[in-house]
Amino acid sequence: MSPLLEVEDLRVSFPTEDGVVHAVDGISYSVDTGKSLGVVGESGSGKSVSSLTMLGLTRSQGARIEGRIMFDGEDLITMPDSGLRKLRGNDIAMIFQDPLSSLHPFFKVGAQLTEAVLTHRKVSKSAARARALELLEVVGIPDPDRRVNEYPHEFSGGMRQRAMIAMALANEPKLLIADEPTTALDVTVQAQILALLEDLQRRLGMAIVIITHDLGVVAEIADSIAVMYAGRIVERGTADQIFHAPQHPYTWGLLMSIPRLNSPRGDELVPIAGRPPSLINRPSGCYFHPRCPYVQDAHRRVDPRLAPVNGDDGHTAACLLDPGVRTRIWEGVQSGRDVASLRRLAGSGSSAAGGSAVGGSAGGGSEAGGLGGGASVSEARAPEAQQ
Amino acid sequence: MRNRAHAIATLTVAALATVLLAACGSSSSSSSSSGSSSSSSSGSSSTLPLKAGENPSTETLYGKKKGGTLTVYSSVDFAHLDPGESYFGGDYPVVDVTNRPLFLFAPNASTTVVPDLATTVPTLSNGGITDGGKTVTVHIQPNVRFSPPVNRVVTSKDVAYAIERGANPNVANPYFISYFGANSPAPLVGATSPKYSGGPIPGIQTPNNTTIVFHMTKPGAAILVPALGLPTSAPVPESFAGPLDKKSPTTYGTQYLVATGPYMIQANNKTGQFAGIGYQTGKSLTLVRNPNWSASTYSSAFRPPAYLNQINYKIGVDATVAQLQTLKGSDAVEMDQATPPNLKLAYQKYPSQLTVTAGSGDWYIGVDNAHGVFTNVNLRKAFWAALDRAAILKVVGGPLEGQVMTHFIYPGTAGFQQAGGYTGPQVDYNQDPNGNLTVATKYMKLAGYKTGKYTGNQTVQLVGADNGVDPAWTQVVDSALTSLGFKVHASEPDQSVMYTKYCEVPKQEIDACPIVGWIRDFADPFAVLYVPFYGPAIVSSNNSNFGQFNNPSVNAAMRQASLIVAPAARAQAWANIDKMLVANAAAIPEYFANEDVVASKNVNGVVDQWNQGLFDFEFTSLTNP
Amino acid sequence: MTTYIIRRILWGIVLLFLVSLLTFLFFYIFPAVNPAQLRAGRNPSPAIVAYIAKELGTNKPIYTQFYDYMKGIILHFNFGFSYYSQASVIGLIKNRLPATLSLTVGAVVMWLCAGIPVGVLSAIKRRTFFDRAAMGTALVFVSMPVYWLGLIVLYLFAADIGKFPILPGSSTYVGLTTDPGQWFTSLILPWFVLAATSAAIYSRLLRGSLLEVMGEDYIRTARAKGLSERRVIWKHGVRSAITPIVTVLGLDLGTLLGGAVLVETVFDIPGIGRLNYDAILHSDIPIVQGTVLIAAMFIVVANIVVDISYAYLDPRVRY
Repeated sequence: MSPLLEVEDLRVSFPTEDGVVHAVDGISYSVDTGKSLGVVGESGSGKSVSSLTMLGLTRSQGARIEGRIMFDGEDLITMPDSGLRKLRGNDIAMIFQDPLSSLHPFFKVGAQLTEAVLTHRKVSKSAARARALELLEVVGIPDPDRRVNEYPHEFSGGMRQRAMIAMALANEPKLLIADEPTTALDVTVQAQILALLEDLQRRLGMAIVIITHDLGVVAEIADSIAVMYAGRIVERGTADQIFHAPQHPYTWGLLMSIPRLNSPRGDELVPIAGRPPSLINRPSGCYFHPRCPYVQDAHRRVDPRLAPVNGDDGHTAACLLDPGVRTRIWEGVQSGRDVASLRRLAGSGSSAAGGSAVGGSAGGGSEAGGLGGGASVSEARAPEAQQ
Repeated sequence: MRNRAHAIATLTVAALATVLLAACGSSSSSSSSSGSSSSSSSGSSSTLPLKAGENPSTETLYGKKKGGTLTVYSSVDFAHLDPGESYFGGDYPVVDVTNRPLFLFAPNASTTVVPDLATTVPTLSNGGITDGGKTVTVHIQPNVRFSPPVNRVVTSKDVAYAIERGANPNVANPYFISYFGANSPAPLVGATSPKYSGGPIPGIQTPNNTTIVFHMTKPGAAILVPALGLPTSAPVPESFAGPLDKKSPTTYGTQYLVATGPYMIQANNKTGQFAGIGYQTGKSLTLVRNPNWSASTYSSAFRPPAYLNQINYKIGVDATVAQLQTLKGSDAVEMDQATPPNLKLAYQKYPSQLTVTAGSGDWYIGVDNAHGVFTNVNLRKAFWAALDRAAILKVVGGPLEGQVMTHFIYPGTAGFQQAGGYTGPQVDYNQDPNGNLTVATKYMKLAGYKTGKYTGNQTVQLVGADNGVDPAWTQVVDSALTSLGFKVHASEPDQSVMYTKYCEVPKQEIDACPIVGWIRDFADPFAVLYVPFYGPAIVSSNNSNFGQFNNPSVNAAMRQASLIVAPAARAQAWANIDKMLVANAAAIPEYFANEDVVASKNVNGVVDQWNQGLFDFEFTSLTNP
Repeated sequence: MTTYIIRRILWGIVLLFLVSLLTFLFFYIFPAVNPAQLRAGRNPSPAIVAYIAKELGTNKPIYTQFYDYMKGIILHFNFGFSYYSQASVIGLIKNRLPATLSLTVGAVVMWLCAGIPVGVLSAIKRRTFFDRAAMGTALVFVSMPVYWLGLIVLYLFAADIGKFPILPGSSTYVGLTTDPGQWFTSLILPWFVLAATSAAIYSRLLRGSLLEVMGEDYIRTARAKGLSERRVIWKHGVRSAITPIVTVLGLDLGTLLGGAVLVETVFDIPGIGRLNYDAILHSDIPIVQGTVLIAAMFIVVANIVVDISYAYLDPRVRY
């Protein structure tokens, strides 16, 4: 069966005063009906843009969009706005990060729900209202009769997000896009919301794309995960593969920065050094090279492409290091080997596995140069490590 | 008559044009030297300007068409509609057409008294004036009726009551004390005390229904007769107004009125209430024909033709806009002085619709003769010499606004020519209308300031006003003072505040009030000079002798001149007083004022030369009613 | 909420009391005309002036006069008597109020009808020719002095003096009950003059406010729900952006009801503004005190209404 959603080589760029911002630089992924995909990356990695583009919500900003987004057999990029509007809130629904600012403060929650229904269905107002009450129950909001007449600011944070989810579910979407749905919530509430999403997915057979910077969030819920960096997907695979056999230094960094309840006291969190790169002037060669602890000389010149890991098409990574080397480094990281020896390990097998060379010759490993990127620990840390 | 008038008009326009061009080109204004200049005029039926002391113009008053409604625009509201109270020029156009005083002045003959309610003007020869001038007997028309609701025939008692009620503080007639009572040179018998406050006057007797006899303590017939041309002698029925006059202030004139003239303010004919009916405060006033008026109850040749059927005042308009509407539209006149842009427009594009009347008053600086720096006559002369009078005229709008003033009796009044005409007495400080610092310096030195500049430590208090051109005007005066080394503290409050709080209050001892002047109450030199310059006429508030001038020999001369009956001698006597005022620099003259008003094309606007050149509704008509 | 309203009203009364006290003191302290003198006319004898002063009570100490004045207002709704106009102040104000109301309400309707659509369209079509032209025109109108604009409009369009005589000009105002047709046509030019500046201000204000709102997250959500762009702008966007407009409108309305003296003068509309102006010219203090108090009252009421309406506009606001 063909996937419900198939993104093919999507590129989105915006002209600005400082130059062209390459927000999304050729990404491809797909989601099957009833399955969930986690799109993970730091802020500025282009993850939100790709999903907004799906709904045509980036068109007004003068974006240049190339590629294909196939949904249910139709290309959303070439679809006119009138067609997209029929899909929005209907077949494809989206929920956002901050439900307090994402819900209109002047309208009652019930009214916003009925609006979602009435936009796409010709039903009576009372039928819409009944549906609103039903939706509030489905998402687990107690006392829906009272709540339906209240305003967003009268709800707690978690309840607001439930309400937003309720609104998204109004017309039984085939695909739900959740953009940082738990970032603004407490940890305990996070878990509840994620459990809710999982539950709804099961019951309604809905596909979900969860966009987040926190790998921990998608651990439970995602079937497959795509890791994005600087507008590109740098690694893609099943949740199992990503968590247990990650093949990209950036993914390792993300994994290492998830706080664990069972990690020894006194263990420091290991951030990824440096900052996300500018999407106007991207680094040469491998985009990650300025921040990669295992960078080799060639990495500064050659731009790696996604390549299958161990011959498995379902698990791809874009790194010039040899997959075997990478596996060993990862084991070393997990067992706590020191960085220096891990770097020596990287230096020993640094042939680029596929990928286009951007000038310069491939091969000829040399000792890793500097760390690249800023080494100061006090760099702005991605918000993921704060909880 | 028409063609001749037209020809004269054209000639005068040309003359004026020459003057204007000359004035604009050079810095010396001198309209005074050209003699014929003051103003231009208009077509067939409007006034030609008065030249100093000359005979009345050829304004045609009769032979026009009856009917139509006239719209009258005025930016200011009425102050007093009660003939016993009114003294503002703006009130007179209404008061005059609704009331019949004993005498009146014809629109085009401001120096000639003619009978209105009276049958004749009392003179020595017809026996009206007897007892050496101490007794005046007047006979009134027998069949004049009041308007509804009174309706009955007017009697002499109504005239007596009208004058007597002037002293009632609820009425407070401003002329009473100056012309009939305590301050008059010849008060009525029984009204000599300043405490007199209404009630029958022994000096006014009514032997029968159509006769009134006035007895004065001195032979003041020459003052009394023209004073009886004021509205205060228009009959007021005591039975109707008496109860109203008990209220403070009286409601006769504010709520109720009866009329004797050809028109009346539209009212409730059963009660006589006009407020809210024919008069909306600040908004409108409507004059309609008085049903009880009869044109046959006049004995003079100047019976009012009363062409118009109705007159509608629109009050509170913006003068600039309304004048434009008047010029371009029809059936309208505008009562405000033409604003400079409209004056120019009318003069250039609508000359037949512009009426310029000379002799509508004068403007001078009231300098405090009794306190402060200007008690010294030489300093006053220095001030006079230094002042650029031509600049003031320019600042207020140019030659159409008037002429440089050179002495105190203004054009159109007997005695004007004898007092020096437009050039005035040729004393050195008066000679240069542009101001002459050399002459001024001479008088500074005579005052004891050897350098020619003031070195004392008193600051001159100068109070001008803040409306329109007044600040610029005040500035010209200010600079004259500073050129002599004076330190000046100038303030510019609102005009009514300037008068009632500063310049009319002797206690304030304001050194110089540049924006004051005088308009005579009737066309006699007495009325021009007496109140403003007679020492004993100074009062503690609402004072009109702005400079607090109190010169015993001038006072005596005035008392004497007031009582002279023969016109030529009278004129000469007052001209001599004028010369004394100039010699004493009693005030600093600025300019003789013109009244410039505009009318629509289809309006034959007749103006009253004796009332500042404002329109007279009894004689005004439409060309196409 | 009810306690809030009551509290505001009480404060409003205190404020009005202070305003009348200040006005009273102001005319007492600063150069002004003694009403007795005004009434006495020219060259009165001192006896007459004294008599009138006694009748008017101007010789009483100032606190007695003020007490009498306030008592008159509170107990009898008597705002005093104008000796210059020979009429009761409240009668004159009542007489002039309909014209001011006509002028104000019509102008408000006109400027809202013009300002709101232009503001919204300018925001939507940001940086296009329409936006620049609209905002440029708005800037021009904001800079025009009202009196000058009034004259220009008359010189262009007045039926009697204009170059293109299409509308009634100055002095054509009649009451609504007298002749509704003429009432309406005579007010078109004055409405335009009053509305021009405000429409310009409101359109700029709304444009800015709407641009800010359109960047909010809930607008993105509305679009993501599949709403038509028109609905997103008007129902979600304008609804939020209108709040500053409501504030300004309330205050403008309150101020205008105190009289638009310049427009009333140029067009000869007998409203409260002109009543006030004429009274100032003649130092007719009772009228000035009365109109100032009435104007203050309108502003106080407008403020209260605006604040209360906030609670209805924005449910997050709670008193």
